[in-house]
Amino acid sequence: MAAGLIAAPFILPYLGFTPSTINRILVWGLFGIGFDILFGFTGLLSFGQSAFFGTGGMVAAYLLTIVNFPYVVTAVFIGTIAAALVGYLVGLIALRRTGIYFAMITVAIAEVFYFVEFSPLSAYTGGENGLPGVPTPTLPLGFTTIQFNSDSSLYAFLAFWYFVGMVLALRIVRSPVGAVLRAIRDNPLRAAAVGHNIHSYKLTAFVIAAAYAGFAGGLLGIMQGFMPPDAFTFDTSGQLVMQTAIGGAGTLFGPLVGATVWLYLSDFLQTTLHLGATWKLVLGVVFVLLVCFLRRGLIGGMSNLYALVTRPVATPIKPGQGAVPTPAMTVEEEQKAIAVEIATAPVAAPMPAAHRQNGDFSGLILEAMALTKRYGGLVANSAIDFSVRHGERRGIIGPNGAGKTTFFKMLTCEIEPTSGRIMFEGRDITGMNVTDVCQLGLTKSYQVNQLFTRLTVRENVTIAALAELRGKFRLDLFRRLLKIPGLTEQVEHTLALVNLTDRAERPVAALAYGEKRRLEVGLALASSPSLLLLDEPLAGMSPRERVEMVKLLKSIGQGRTMIIIDHDMDSLFELVERVTVLQEGRVLVEGTPEEIKGNKAVQEAYLGGVVAA
Amino acid sequence: MINWGNFISQCFNGLVLGALLALISSGLTIIYGTLGVLNLAHGAMFMLGGYAGWMAYHYTGSFIVAVIAGSLFVLVVGVVTERLIIRSFYTRSHEDQLLVTFGLGIIFVETVRFFFGSLSKAVPPPPPLLGITSLGFMFYPTYRLALLGIVAVALLALYFVLYRTRLGMIVRAGIEDSVMVDSLGIDVYRIFMLVFGIGAMAAGFAGIVNAPVVSIAPDVGEAILVQTFVVVVIGGVGSFPGAVLGGLIAGEIISITSMFDPGYSYVMLFVAMTLVLVLRPHGLLGTAGRE
Amino acid sequence: MSNGKTPFSKSLSRRHLLQQTAATGLGLGVLSVGGPRGFEFVSSAAAEDQPPLGTWPAGSQGDTVNIGAATPLTGTYASSGEDELKGWQLAVEHINNGDPLLKKIAPKVTKGLLGKKVNLLVADSGAKPNDAVQAEQTFINQNKIILMTGSTSSAVAVALNHFAEREKVLYVTGISGSNDTTGKDCVRYSFRQNFYGETAANAIGPVLIKVFGKNRKAAWMTPDYTYGHTVTKSSFDYLSKNGGWTMVTNQVSPLGTQDFSQYLTNIANSGAEILLNVNWGRDAVLSIQQAKQFGILPKMKLVIPYQIPFLAKEVGPELTEGVYAATDFWWTLEDKYPLAKMFVDAFYKKYNYRPEWGANNSYMSFAIWARMVSEAGTFYPPDVIKTYEKGETFDSTVGPVHFRPQDHQLVRPVIIVRGKAPKAMKNNEDYWEVTEVDPGAPLMQKPDAFGCTLGDYT
Repeated sequence: MAAGLIAAPFILPYLGFTPSTINRILVWGLFGIGFDILFGFTGLLSFGQSAFFGTGGMVAAYLLTIVNFPYVVTAVFIGTIAAALVGYLVGLIALRRTGIYFAMITVAIAEVFYFVEFSPLSAYTGGENGLPGVPTPTLPLGFTTIQFNSDSSLYAFLAFWYFVGMVLALRIVRSPVGAVLRAIRDNPLRAAAVGHNIHSYKLTAFVIAAAYAGFAGGLLGIMQGFMPPDAFTFDTSGQLVMQTAIGGAGTLFGPLVGATVWLYLSDFLQTTLHLGATWKLVLGVVFVLLVCFLRRGLIGGMSNLYALVTRPVATPIKPGQGAVPTPAMTVEEEQKAIAVEIATAPVAAPMPAAHRQNGDFSGLILEAMALTKRYGGLVANSAIDFSVRHGERRGIIGPNGAGKTTFFKMLTCEIEPTSGRIMFEGRDITGMNVTDVCQLGLTKSYQVNQLFTRLTVRENVTIAALAELRGKFRLDLFRRLLKIPGLTEQVEHTLALVNLTDRAERPVAALAYGEKRRLEVGLALASSPSLLLLDEPLAGMSPRERVEMVKLLKSIGQGRTMIIIDHDMDSLFELVERVTVLQEGRVLVEGTPEEIKGNKAVQEAYLGGVVAA
Repeated sequence: MINWGNFISQCFNGLVLGALLALISSGLTIIYGTLGVLNLAHGAMFMLGGYAGWMAYHYTGSFIVAVIAGSLFVLVVGVVTERLIIRSFYTRSHEDQLLVTFGLGIIFVETVRFFFGSLSKAVPPPPPLLGITSLGFMFYPTYRLALLGIVAVALLALYFVLYRTRLGMIVRAGIEDSVMVDSLGIDVYRIFMLVFGIGAMAAGFAGIVNAPVVSIAPDVGEAILVQTFVVVVIGGVGSFPGAVLGGLIAGEIISITSMFDPGYSYVMLFVAMTLVLVLRPHGLLGTAGRE
Repeated sequence: MSNGKTPFSKSLSRRHLLQQTAATGLGLGVLSVGGPRGFEFVSSAAAEDQPPLGTWPAGSQGDTVNIGAATPLTGTYASSGEDELKGWQLAVEHINNGDPLLKKIAPKVTKGLLGKKVNLLVADSGAKPNDAVQAEQTFINQNKIILMTGSTSSAVAVALNHFAEREKVLYVTGISGSNDTTGKDCVRYSFRQNFYGETAANAIGPVLIKVFGKNRKAAWMTPDYTYGHTVTKSSFDYLSKNGGWTMVTNQVSPLGTQDFSQYLTNIANSGAEILLNVNWGRDAVLSIQQAKQFGILPKMKLVIPYQIPFLAKEVGPELTEGVYAATDFWWTLEDKYPLAKMFVDAFYKKYNYRPEWGANNSYMSFAIWARMVSEAGTFYPPDVIKTYEKGETFDSTVGPVHFRPQDHQLVRPVIIVRGKAPKAMKNNEDYWEVTEVDPGAPLMQKPDAFGCTLGDYT
């Protein structure tokens, strides 16, 4: 990168870039780095970055022109801090919602900034005049002083800061925080469920983006010698979004590439082709085509092309590892054969539940009292009393619509009960959120896979493990992932446990269904919960995958309390010590698998049809 | 000191502006509620309605023809856009949808600029509605009074479509539970195309009936779009009654604040939005369902 | 900005550099204290008489010299921007073929300027300062332009003023009505031909007091930026001090407002008798049209303190009948000034309509520049500036005029016009009649009253 930055001013002019255009590209590129962390890495599309770009630039320019503050770079840093503070406050409001709400709120807030800057604060911002007369920076070296006042020396100045900004961004992206941000982008629900405080992380990304915007705004003022009020307009935000999307979001370099294309085309169309106002139409068309056909922008397109060229034959990924069973075998024979094969395979040592504050607590680990959930007039769960001992393996069965999943969601605090209480290790967790409960050691694997789909298997597990090792929120922005003590071991162990070690570097999308299912359990497992809830872990699996999963569950069940929902009665009864039967939102009966098998009420309500047949 | 005559007049301004915002926002909100797509080109649809109407007026001299032509043209643009582009984005992320509609908005605006230039175009109100009307306690431009009625009728028509027709039932069912609609065996794509067209038409209609008030230029849609967002956030995304309520609230806030200091009317609007977000995160009449 | 506007200039930057020593925030690990003064890293070249300066001499070495115009071709001011462009184009044509009209203003011009062809480059500024600065920067880099022009919004004029000072490239403003352009934001490298808020107010004030009487209640409509605020302030100051007028309301609206209903409602209920509309461009057209919809016009008397080109054409003569306005030029001055007649004829021949004051301002500012360059005999900017600053009187389309060396403002008359009734119009462009031509000098403030201090020549 450094080489590229050094070479750029010598090469680009030959391609028709003017020096001021190259400098402008750097400012937009730097602005975009922060935005890419917010959008490309965290998945938050803000149309309001102009507010921070303008704030940073105006504060710096105000200090340098009206106050006559003498230190240029320091002024830019003060502007950056101001932008970050403003970003924090705006983030508190905007991040109350996600998705399109978030986009709309950021637009509206940025628009207010424009109005406020333009009129009520015009004494400080120069209103529509902006602030002319921003001085250029200087660098005292003792024997002489370098003055960055020509296009080429300014380039050196801007390139240096772009380099610093990029190095910092790369560190952030590769830090644990960066990993969590990507998890939030891919699946915010699961990121919260494995124990990360996603709101705080989103706010972090928002503030980082605001700080980069503020810094770039300050540099804009310096570069032009003039801080324009136009920095606050919606056009600024829109242009940033478009440049990032053109270059490729989630790459950090995308905005720079996008800015290069954008500014080059804008120069070219206007000054060479004399298209006048039509230049924007052409860019609009280019942009829409890119969004339609190149989902990851130019950088994504180029890397796809590169992959296509360098990887001549794609190796198909086979589900599982074994050979396809011969059709001559009956289902039972096949099951037996698989069972034998799997039983002889080596098993990773079970991973003990991490010791929590109440580690020596014995007796009931979980107790639900009169738990009720109503949706309008519909009663999903009605006054369920339920308790589980330490170390117990409990099954929950019931016909479809019995309220099993709702019950689980209440236990993990994904939804709040209408009434009733939940005690976990002697602590009342009613009304807590899913993140805090996970941090206490209670988590679940989902009925429908909730994975971080754009990440690899190892990254998936790492994210879950990070929540346990780092707590729900921590600002270790510049720490390397590998430097977190115990992380590698825990990830490797979890991978081995769910038998995905040889799939570790695969992206989730390339996994077979059974493997995804195991990873789903692995995510829950990686945070070393003391109580693990499994919602239909066997659903939709092939016979072979089932046998593997049962074996996996048996091994992780050692030294851990588990509650399992499943419809596969045979497998479930083999796994658990006691079974609770739910029907129409109530507990029908509870007992050992044998008792349940023999229970008349259960047979009638649930197994009846099967037995009769 | 409050001048009550002025206060009532400003309330009237708020009502007219609010009704207009309500109509545009309803279009945005039913598209989002049904299709799950936030159309950032909605402001451009408002603008297109104005220009199509102006063209029709230019050739026929009839305001009624202009209104019909403006609305129908935007309906067609909406349907074609949905069919050609938006449809392939249903399976993609919200962010991609925002990007593509944002880009489409730019294309619409710049195409109009290319053909018609940047100068504003005026569509005069129909002759019977020229001049001012005395309401006893104040005078008010006749066309603006009529506009209030026209927009109210349009909102009623939209209400009728949404609450009294089979299409409306499906749309509302879709807003509440998109999975259910999928399982009804309805040709969802045809419905989506129609809803996108109708939503766009609401904006286009607003664009042409508003043209006699402010005259039209290629970038009239942008400012309106931002106000529409605030309306939708206040009212609740996907809620038709929410859009109407939000529109009226926004219109009154802007007008009544400008009585004291017009410079702060937008700031107050934003303060209201923040309050709603803090107190009722899903909007005044929204439900928690969609995000 | 209390101590002037010099930070663009190198002298102050150098001071910055000395004070920069504590900039440890740089993170560069440099902690030296002070650097010896005087050692220059930057091009302080050889001991020639005239070292390179801005685009000089690179810009004037070929057969052609370039001028860069950044003018609004889109947005609120687009119609005026296009009109101004025509004025520049006509002036460039006249310079290149040594037109008799141009020679009346700049006698030493032959065909072309100092033997070189003049070429005009144009970019759309959208009346946005940032776009204008970007466009001019590109022209400087790519075309080595030796003169910049264009504004229409005073915000652009102020930005380009400072930009000109930094780049050491001459700038002649387009339409710019703010007092600041040759007031607190004046610079050595910029010159203004047209009238401005203060002179407009002082010219129209006595007329208004004479026509409408003393102690009247007036409402102002002000666009929310420098031009608007200074024109409103200048006109209010004059009318309150000399006529006892009161301001019952001042409705400040953002640039590019579409719907003025809220503002107009406040005015309708304010009890004002006279409405002074300072809005400009499309804002003025829309606000006047809507004022009529609200019944404010013709109930209140409309006054335009700072004339808007094409206003009457766009809103119709019914609305401008009896309206007083202060302006820079109106075509019927052709009856009074021979140069005006030549200008109107030449313009009409080329563009088939009669010019408004924007086009006249464009033409005149180029013609004057051609005069100064040809008198100086060089393109070297300090010499050209010094020729302007001699303050010699020369003939123009509004009679003899001269520059004030202290603030680079042309001392020129202000024209007061009154809207004609539709049936009194002699042709389809005969919207206004000239009622007064006020000599400029008495209308102007003292050169330093608005805080003008010019910067360095080099």
